[in-house]
Amino acid sequence: MATRALLAVIYASPNRCYISPSRIKIQSLTCSSSSHYYQRQSRKNHRIARSYSSDSDSSVLQPPDVARLAQTARISLTPAEIEECETKIRRVIDWFGQLQQVDVNSVEPAIRAEMDGGNLREDAPETFDNRDSIRASIPSFEDAYLKVPKILNKE
Amino acid sequence: MSTTLLRTFQPNQFSLLGTSLLRRRRSNNFSVRFCGSQTTTTHEAKQSSPTRVAPKNHKSNKLDEILRDYEAVIGIETHVQLSTLTKAFCSCSNNYGSYPNTSICPVCMGLPGALPVLNSKVVEFGVRLGLALNCDLSLKSKFDRKQYFYPDLPKGYQISQFDIPIASGGYVDLDIPLEFGGGHRRFGITRVHMEEDAGKLLHSDTGDYSQVDLNRAGVPLLEIVSEPDMRSGIEAAEYACEMQRIARYLGVSNGNMQEGSLRCDVNISIRPIGQAEFGTKVEIKNLNAFSAISRAIDYEISRQALLYNQGKADQIVTETRLWEEGAQKTVTMRKKEGLADYRYFPEPDLPEVILTKEYVDSIRASLPELPEAKRRRYEAMGLGMQDVLFLANDVSVAEYFDAVIGKGAEVKLAANWIMSDIAAYLKNEKLSINDIKLTPQELAELIAAIKDGTISGKIGKEILFELLAKGGTVKGMIKAKDLVQITDPVEIEKMVIQVVSENPKQLEQYRSGKTKLQGYFAGQIMKMSKGKANPGLLNKILLEKLNAKD
Repeated sequence: MATRALLAVIYASPNRCYISPSRIKIQSLTCSSSSHYYQRQSRKNHRIARSYSSDSDSSVLQPPDVARLAQTARISLTPAEIEECETKIRRVIDWFGQLQQVDVNSVEPAIRAEMDGGNLREDAPETFDNRDSIRASIPSFEDAYLKVPKILNKE
Repeated sequence: MSTTLLRTFQPNQFSLLGTSLLRRRRSNNFSVRFCGSQTTTTHEAKQSSPTRVAPKNHKSNKLDEILRDYEAVIGIETHVQLSTLTKAFCSCSNNYGSYPNTSICPVCMGLPGALPVLNSKVVEFGVRLGLALNCDLSLKSKFDRKQYFYPDLPKGYQISQFDIPIASGGYVDLDIPLEFGGGHRRFGITRVHMEEDAGKLLHSDTGDYSQVDLNRAGVPLLEIVSEPDMRSGIEAAEYACEMQRIARYLGVSNGNMQEGSLRCDVNISIRPIGQAEFGTKVEIKNLNAFSAISRAIDYEISRQALLYNQGKADQIVTETRLWEEGAQKTVTMRKKEGLADYRYFPEPDLPEVILTKEYVDSIRASLPELPEAKRRRYEAMGLGMQDVLFLANDVSVAEYFDAVIGKGAEVKLAANWIMSDIAAYLKNEKLSINDIKLTPQELAELIAAIKDGTISGKIGKEILFELLAKGGTVKGMIKAKDLVQITDPVEIEKMVIQVVSENPKQLEQYRSGKTKLQGYFAGQIMKMSKGKANPGLLNKILLEKLNAKD
């Protein structure tokens, strides 16, 4: 759970976020699929991609761009709130930063934490009984559809 | 402040123009117009519009000129909606056309606390398609969250596969139709991955609201990304056709562009010939037919080349353009403001997808003969490319053909019957080959009966119609209608003499030079014999009698 939050913050950062040059480098996965279209992907590489940038010496985590974070999460913050959040979030990140002390040079990165895969479901339809209450709980539900504002090119 | 937004934006060009209700979503643009019915083969659909051929010939000279200086680099992203019984991550029914918002549950609605559970069929179909496209399979792959906000996306993220797709590094072999030059092509496949679909968004013409139907949210998709190997609209359209063919052959999807179960987005750039770097890439959406793919690409090549020639190459920007079928051109949807930031991270609620070697091998063993293999086999049997492409296009037609020749019918004859008379019947009656009552066995009988002279070719065609519509056996019909060909020269001679003697005037005219009247006599004799006289013999004897007294 904790790693999830850390990952979420790191991936939200617009910059390449590297923890340390000699440790695991997490390549920022902010490219959209339109850029991976032309990207040469190494197929057999099942590792969390090692960063290709070689210009980092910093062993300090970059501070999060809270304004951007809020924007991508569609949460409006006042400048005061942004400042306040920045400190709090920074503290959480630094707390996680303790992980940097672990030497993982000799450890193969795993793509996921748990050991076993599976948990597949059979392809057999089941109707959910209480669909009425799902529909009833939708704030604006009219004529069998969810009614939403028409989005016209605004952010 | 403008921010990074969806890579592809939605709507509203269409709504503003006040056109009829269009269903739109992020990457599915569904026009209410239909291009070609479901039952006609795509091959036919492409050939069947004569209006398309004329402008193409006119434009093709211009396009050829452009292609002397520029090379088009084209890649296609195809979304295939899988024909599973349930959605990807929950057990809601997956069927097209249900009453809105009835196939829903907390999981696909993205309600708090609901967790996804992967449908095993989705993995199976992913492996089948990956193998059919000659890909390497990732024995371990994972799901990721692709995060963005949009009304048709209940969870606020789409479960997809980002960096470790289930299959990658494949290729597809196909043949370009003869009318476009023919030839073999091989196009690379970058990757195939599993993901879920979003709901359907309908925009109202009037009013400031839209409507969302979440029946489709969570329906499983396979996304196929091609290498940018295509160089023309024709190649791209044929690639898309082949994707549809393969999906149908495998039974993973019905591949209907009209229903939205097969969607193609084109990425195209041009570069001066000889240049190594790619030009600026433009994405084209709202392509609802294979012909639209090729026309849109031709248009876009011309548009970009014109800008290059005018020295305005910098006006070509990375953007998404919509193909307008009515105006036959692409228009800007919105300019990209930076690349979209989807903040991918591994989906924590789903475990790894693990494939064992045994599993993969068992699926590989169960694959049907794929279109490419069929085409090569038909070619080896001696059929011409035209026939090969027709017969291998639709898996049901190919199966029927294989059954007919399996019963011993001659290959070329069987092909002819299927491609001409039977195909015409199917088109008229709007049926699929699975609906006709003529069994492959009986078609083989019919062919044999004509071949050995039991009945004439003409009679054969006549009873074909009845056999198609009502079934029955060839032998039975021949007996019931007394259709056996008359091949006894003595009998024919009797009829010839009778007709000649009954038509002295025509005989006179014939003898005085109107040799065309032979046809008249032949017709009369045929009528008298109820069409059963063997035409060759008839004419031979007739000619003898007509010319005898000279």
